[in-house]
Amino acid sequence: MGAVGFFTDTTICIGCKACEVACKEWNQLPDDGLLFTGMSYDNTGDLGASTWRHVSFIERPVPLTGQETGLGNFSWLLMSDVCKHCQRAGCLEACPTGAIIRTEFDSVYVQPDICNGCGYCVVSCPFGVIDRREDDGRAWKCTLCYDRLKGDMTPACAKACPTDSIVFGDLDELRVKARDRVERLHRHGVTEAYLYGADEASQPGTGGLNAFFLLVDKPEAYNLPPDPVAPARKSGSAWAAMTVSVLGMAAVALGAVLSSRRGARGEAEA
Amino acid sequence: MSPDGRYISPQLGTLSGEGSGQRIDQTTAAYPSSSAVWSERPSRSFESDEPTYYDRPVLKEAVWIWSVPAYFYVGGTAGAAAVLAASAQALGRGELDGLVRSCRWVAAIGGAVGTVFLIHDLGRPERFLHMLRVFRPTSAMSVGSWVLAGAASATMASALLSGQEGALGRLGDAAGYSAALLGMPLAGYTAVLLSSTAVPLWQVSRHSLPPLFIGSAMSGLASLFGLLPVELSAREERTVHRFGVAAKLIDLAAMAAVETKAAQVETVAKPLRQGVSGALWKAAKALTAASLALSLLPGKSGLRRKAVGVFGTAGALALRFAVFHAGKASARDPRATFRQQHSS
Amino acid sequence: MAECHPVGFRWVMEAKNRGAKIIHVDPRFTRTSAVADLHVPLRAGSDIAFLGGIVRYILENERYFREYVVHYTNAPVLVSEDFRDTDDLDGLFSGWDAEQGQYDPKSWQYEGAEVSPSAEQREMFTGEPYSERGTRHAGERFDDTLQHPRCVFQVLRRHFSRYTPEVVEEVCGVSTDQFLKVAETLCANSGRERTSAFCYAVGWTQHSVGVQYIRTAAIIQLLLGNIGRPGGGIMALRGHASIQGSTDIPTLYNLLPGYLSMPKARYDTDFDAYVRNNQAAAGWWTEFPKYIVSLLKAWYGDAARAENGWAYDYLPLISGDHSHMTTVSAMADGAVKGYFMLGENPTVGSMHGALHRKGMRELDWLVVRDFAVTETADFWRDAPEIERGEARTEDIKTEVFFFPCAAHTEKDGTFTNTQRLLQWHHKAVEPPGDCRSELHFIYHLGLRLKELYAGSTAVKDRPIHDLTWDYPTGGPHAEPDAEAVLAEINGFRVENRAPVAGFVDLQADGSTACGCWIYSGAYKDGANQTSRRKPRTEQSWVAPEWGWAWPANRRILYNRASADPEGKPWSERKSYVWWDAEKKRWAGHDVADFPADRPPSYRPPEGARGLETISGTSPFILQADGRGWLYAANGLLDGPLPTHYEPNESPIQNPLYGQQCNPVRLEWKRRDNPYHRAWKDPRFPFVLTTYRLTEHHTAGAMSRWLSWLSELQPEMFCEVSPELAQERGLENGGWATITTARGEIEARVLVTERVPAMKIGKQRLLQVGLPYHWGSKGRSRGDAANELIGFVADPNVSIQESKALTCDIVAGRRSRGRRIVTSGPLVPSTPDAPGLEGGRDLPEVGVREPGRHGVSSSHTQQNEES
Ligand SMILES: Nc1nc2c(c(=O)[nH]1)N[C@H]1C(S)=C(S)[C@@H](COP(=O)(O)OP(=O)(O)OC[C@H]3O[C@@H](n4cnc5c(=O)[nH]c(N)nc54)[C@H](O)[C@@H]3O)O[C@H]1N2
Ligand SMILES: Nc1nc2c(c(=O)[nH]1)N[C@H]1C(S)=C(S)[C@@H](COP(=O)(O)OP(=O)(O)OC[C@H]3O[C@@H](n4cnc5c(=O)[nH]c(N)nc54)[C@H](O)[C@@H]3O)O[C@H]1N2
Ligand code: SF4
Ligand code: SF4
Ligand code: SF4
Ligand code: SF4
Ligand code: SF4
Ligand SMILES: [Mo]
Repeated sequence: MGAVGFFTDTTICIGCKACEVACKEWNQLPDDGLLFTGMSYDNTGDLGASTWRHVSFIERPVPLTGQETGLGNFSWLLMSDVCKHCQRAGCLEACPTGAIIRTEFDSVYVQPDICNGCGYCVVSCPFGVIDRREDDGRAWKCTLCYDRLKGDMTPACAKACPTDSIVFGDLDELRVKARDRVERLHRHGVTEAYLYGADEASQPGTGGLNAFFLLVDKPEAYNLPPDPVAPARKSGSAWAAMTVSVLGMAAVALGAVLSSRRGARGEAEA
Repeated sequence: MSPDGRYISPQLGTLSGEGSGQRIDQTTAAYPSSSAVWSERPSRSFESDEPTYYDRPVLKEAVWIWSVPAYFYVGGTAGAAAVLAASAQALGRGELDGLVRSCRWVAAIGGAVGTVFLIHDLGRPERFLHMLRVFRPTSAMSVGSWVLAGAASATMASALLSGQEGALGRLGDAAGYSAALLGMPLAGYTAVLLSSTAVPLWQVSRHSLPPLFIGSAMSGLASLFGLLPVELSAREERTVHRFGVAAKLIDLAAMAAVETKAAQVETVAKPLRQGVSGALWKAAKALTAASLALSLLPGKSGLRRKAVGVFGTAGALALRFAVFHAGKASARDPRATFRQQHSS
Repeated sequence: MAECHPVGFRWVMEAKNRGAKIIHVDPRFTRTSAVADLHVPLRAGSDIAFLGGIVRYILENERYFREYVVHYTNAPVLVSEDFRDTDDLDGLFSGWDAEQGQYDPKSWQYEGAEVSPSAEQREMFTGEPYSERGTRHAGERFDDTLQHPRCVFQVLRRHFSRYTPEVVEEVCGVSTDQFLKVAETLCANSGRERTSAFCYAVGWTQHSVGVQYIRTAAIIQLLLGNIGRPGGGIMALRGHASIQGSTDIPTLYNLLPGYLSMPKARYDTDFDAYVRNNQAAAGWWTEFPKYIVSLLKAWYGDAARAENGWAYDYLPLISGDHSHMTTVSAMADGAVKGYFMLGENPTVGSMHGALHRKGMRELDWLVVRDFAVTETADFWRDAPEIERGEARTEDIKTEVFFFPCAAHTEKDGTFTNTQRLLQWHHKAVEPPGDCRSELHFIYHLGLRLKELYAGSTAVKDRPIHDLTWDYPTGGPHAEPDAEAVLAEINGFRVENRAPVAGFVDLQADGSTACGCWIYSGAYKDGANQTSRRKPRTEQSWVAPEWGWAWPANRRILYNRASADPEGKPWSERKSYVWWDAEKKRWAGHDVADFPADRPPSYRPPEGARGLETISGTSPFILQADGRGWLYAANGLLDGPLPTHYEPNESPIQNPLYGQQCNPVRLEWKRRDNPYHRAWKDPRFPFVLTTYRLTEHHTAGAMSRWLSWLSELQPEMFCEVSPELAQERGLENGGWATITTARGEIEARVLVTERVPAMKIGKQRLLQVGLPYHWGSKGRSRGDAANELIGFVADPNVSIQESKALTCDIVAGRRSRGRRIVTSGPLVPSTPDAPGLEGGRDLPEVGVREPGRHGVSSSHTQQNEES
């Protein structure tokens, strides 16, 4: 099977959280504790080690084009977030143990029995997706339902989504679908609609996302980074800087030793 | 039956989902944490021209504990020690054997302790060997693990064999040189490791963090001699002294560089000015400067030697913790992420 | 709909994707509004004015579907001269009986004819049975030009003329241009080429004028020709998975299966009287005897014989109103000994939890069957009044029996959904431990009763002896075979138990038995039609082979209306069923809801009987006159036409006329059920409305016990506008206390524009929104909204008014002190506060003697209101 992924169309999400529950149910994840957050209808907050789908509720004091409400300037954006299964995955590139692999479905998967909980992936994901749990000490995130895919089943979240806001399928087909959808929305006057992370061109930093989104406001509104980059892309200059510095250190060391010789110029001064 | 209500009757089946192993002890534990209650009208989080999602972080902050910044210090010192040892051994004409020996031991112990610190931080310590399962150039931590593994063994060998005559001695020297070769990256890779993350502050300072860590490693080593109960010859003293002075100059210069770079995006620099990290950062600067100043005063008092050591060491430690906590704070602040990405 | 019917809402989004306009009318901005094209926030409890405005718009602008209206509705029928409308009588219709506090519908009748409703007749409790179901042929007088001043059409026009856009704005708080946009969109999308649908649920029903809300929508849909046609209709989005099923085969006290009315002690003295009172002279209900006889045969088998009136005497008779709230208040007065609670959690889910618990404290025994020990099952040790020391466990003598129940995955059976679709669900696993299905419980209870009375020769025990109770059982727990029950419901020939093909096969001579005539056909050919699962991709778009829909697997009721009087589709685009002249039969995508071979040209001859009376152009075959009723000459207790009344408790005085509330609404005037002043009660200045969250289910036992759902909505909260938050110093995420005369609860605060402040006339109106899912047990706990809501109901169906009332709200958590609501009002019923005198509401508190509960004599209101 070729590259598969998600196209999440936030304009038809009804915030029912079926995806969030289906994910927890299929993966038998525990709850994250019962807390009222006061953040609209979102009492989950973030993606995390035991929340692999998360539905955001964005109350905006601005209208949504194509919609009219007696409330005047108001709209409610609903969006189901998930691991992006990046083409260039920060987590994977950072993982020292090789626990994180790219599967035959082109998804990014953490092998439970390999991860040693070094926590490097946690700071290396530009989307703040993957996290380490205290209890078992290893890193967790969406598996793209690797187990289901191997059984030729649709991922639980997509399966449960009543409105098909989450579409699972062949990436190329998804991209076509998504572009059509954007055009359609533009025709219907929803001019803000755009794709987030649909391909390398639109998001070079990650080489494109296998789980990409249709949004109607800037990424920040959805707590998405405007210009995510797989960190390793930038490490080259750091390595260079380090090389220079360590050579400097060696020079200083040698210098110190030489200059300390009896009769050396340095000594007279000392 | 786990207390959180996940349950399936054993007669009917078992919990086998990917996450079924996850356990939660107290089911009332608040998450994202009670401090996260949003006390304003939800749409407020949107009203600024720069909306955030209820100020929730975009990134996950590091889950590492104290032993990681502690390792930065120990590993750095060890690396520097291996390098100094090798230089002394190469050009010391045998006059610096004391320095060589003690440096080798500092490097060896540093390598060993550092390894312990790292394993201590792992979520699954029993799997620390998985670090050497693969070699992944894209992962500074992978590279670093191999470096550490090599450096630790080389430094240990060189230390054990130091002072030996003949073949063993030559073997020790060989070990010493290879320790130095590995010690160089050992002292510096941790800076790369931090700057190749998504954390805004660490990422923006990717050019200045390596010199900073190197400088701090050198100064840490030099200052250490102020504390260690080792008798150094006059020449050895001179060596260490000059090494230290240079180190602290580099250190301070690099700190300034980090600040200026970070300051390009106001919010990114904030953790260096405010909070615990800010305090630590200032302390590191002050202590290093003090240690430098003292070391430049004329005269040779044992007390001053100690003070230089104490300040220098404290400075080096404070710096690592400052950078560590500043990074965590930076990851917590969604605006830092947004603005940094807009500016770059 | 997105909130509460997310799976069904899939198709709404599909329709939107194909260009449909989605309009959401709701006081709040909900998940539905979030994806709607147009969201219209209106004041809770004001929909009749809003819909009435649309009716006026349609009539004044000639936007109605004339041909449809003339032929298929009762628009041309002349109304009796005696009829007086609310305009003439300051908010009352003619026939008001102040003594009885009820209407005499005589003056509402058609001229020269008396028709009766298709549904059974509740009015029997409020007066003499006015018109036994069509004992006379429906011979109305018509004016097809719709000009006659007394034709329904003109009555309608006059009645709704007052609902101008300005009035709509004043009553509902909906801006004129938003209102006009809705009206225009609706009209523009109706007619020959297009249809529009209404979806509603309890936002419309839970009012003291609930039934009239739906009636108004029905009038609109009939005027626009949107009934009986594809893409049209009024979708009652039902509640529990099979709540539709529990009205078809009712858990309602006044119905027998298939909407046959329950025998009334006062009138239905014997079988013949009962049939006389219920059989129609015209239309489909002329078939009534076949259905009741077959039912009695199904229940009493050989014991049901012609000479004993088919054992009619075995049926229980009802002596009055035995609806939920009436029964509970009787309970509180010690008039009820025992109570079965099968799948209900009323101390959380039903109005006035405190009164429910008071009632249960008076019981001798209580049986609860549920998944978990609910708040109801534990009322004797875990309740607010016990926490506050107002009631003591030691003093409660009620014996409580708790039975764990099997879930739907642990038993076979059907769900009947919103569109009358029966879908079979198969048992996946055996129920664990002592859990058993309802079927198991009831069946084995029946067996034990039979055993218990086996020796008895008393006549009163005959119904138990003669009851047919012989379902095959199987499995480890002797579970009765659900399919055998379905087979009985479907009906069979008595001599050989061969399944009948449908209700047309049923006979009144005892040769057939049938448990529920409208379900007849569900087990056609001895095959379980309800378990069919043919994918829609493999059959026509109507998908007749998915499950089975009553009646006769029809997917759209009254679909004869999808063709014009000549039997041709109104348009190609909207063709559904039509008359096939060659085959001389009705053909189409669906089973025609009409006598299959009756040509459009057919007209009933003089003196026609039975089905012969159905004219070839009368789609509404269950109505005696075959027409859709714009005007309900009979069958409703609160008037032939909908008109706006304020809720029982409202911050504003009825802007339309002196009559403040529905005069016939059910009130329970009890010391333990205090009401606020009807309007502008200064103690309770805010509108309170209640609703559901997607994350929880009703009274919570199915969701609050589950961590995956509880974490999503972990605490009871209230939703208030920024304006209200500011006025009362409420902080988002903080605590608030909400109070009514009935009770006081605390909740976390969500401040949001989604529950807007409204302008009603010159008055600013603030609303408080409460989900009602929480209770004191389970993983996620909180105060129950229903502690706040009193007993008051719609007269036609006794549904509570839980969508619009008044309350007060203050910052901070509730007091833990004594409140004793059930032994007296929380706040003085006759408040000393000046300006409170004169208001209708304050009940002259008097506890009724046991037995005569329910409909209150409203003449006191009458005096004060008009
Ligand atoms: N997730 C979930 N789904 C459910 C249920 C559940 O508990 N949870 N319950 C099931 C049951 S039993 C039922 S009956 C259905 C009920 O389904 P709904 O009727 O959709 O449920 P509610 O949320 O009670 O009411 C719907 C809306 O009515 C609005 N409303 C209140 N007053 C008025 C008014 O005067 N006029 C108008 N136009 N709107 C008003 C409320 O703001 C609310 O948004 O849902 C069923 N589905
Ligand atoms: N304020 C306010 N109050 C309301 C409403 C409102 O909108 N506002 N809505 C009203 C409406 S529409 C409804 S339907 C009621 C609902 O009120 P209730 O029916 O009292 O509440 P539920 O929680 O649905 O109760 C159903 C119970 O049946 C149990 N159950 C589930 N399956 C089975 C089974 O197979 N067998 C048995 N024996 N038990 C089972 C569940 O665990 C649950 O406890 O609430 C009403 N109350
Ligand atoms: S989103 Fe984060 S966790 Fe997911 S693949 Fe990309 S980098 Fe890894
Ligand atoms: S925590 Fe596990 S998955 Fe993440 S980087 Fe370390 S080893 Fe890899
Ligand atoms: S793909 Fe599977 S694991 Fe990932 S979010 Fe969806 S359900 Fe959860
Ligand atoms: S299931 Fe679909 S509609 Fe529901 S919240 Fe998730 S994405 Fe949105
Ligand atoms: S809970 Fe069941 S009935 Fe309700 S929407 Fe979901 S699937 Fe439909
Ligand atoms: Mo319901």
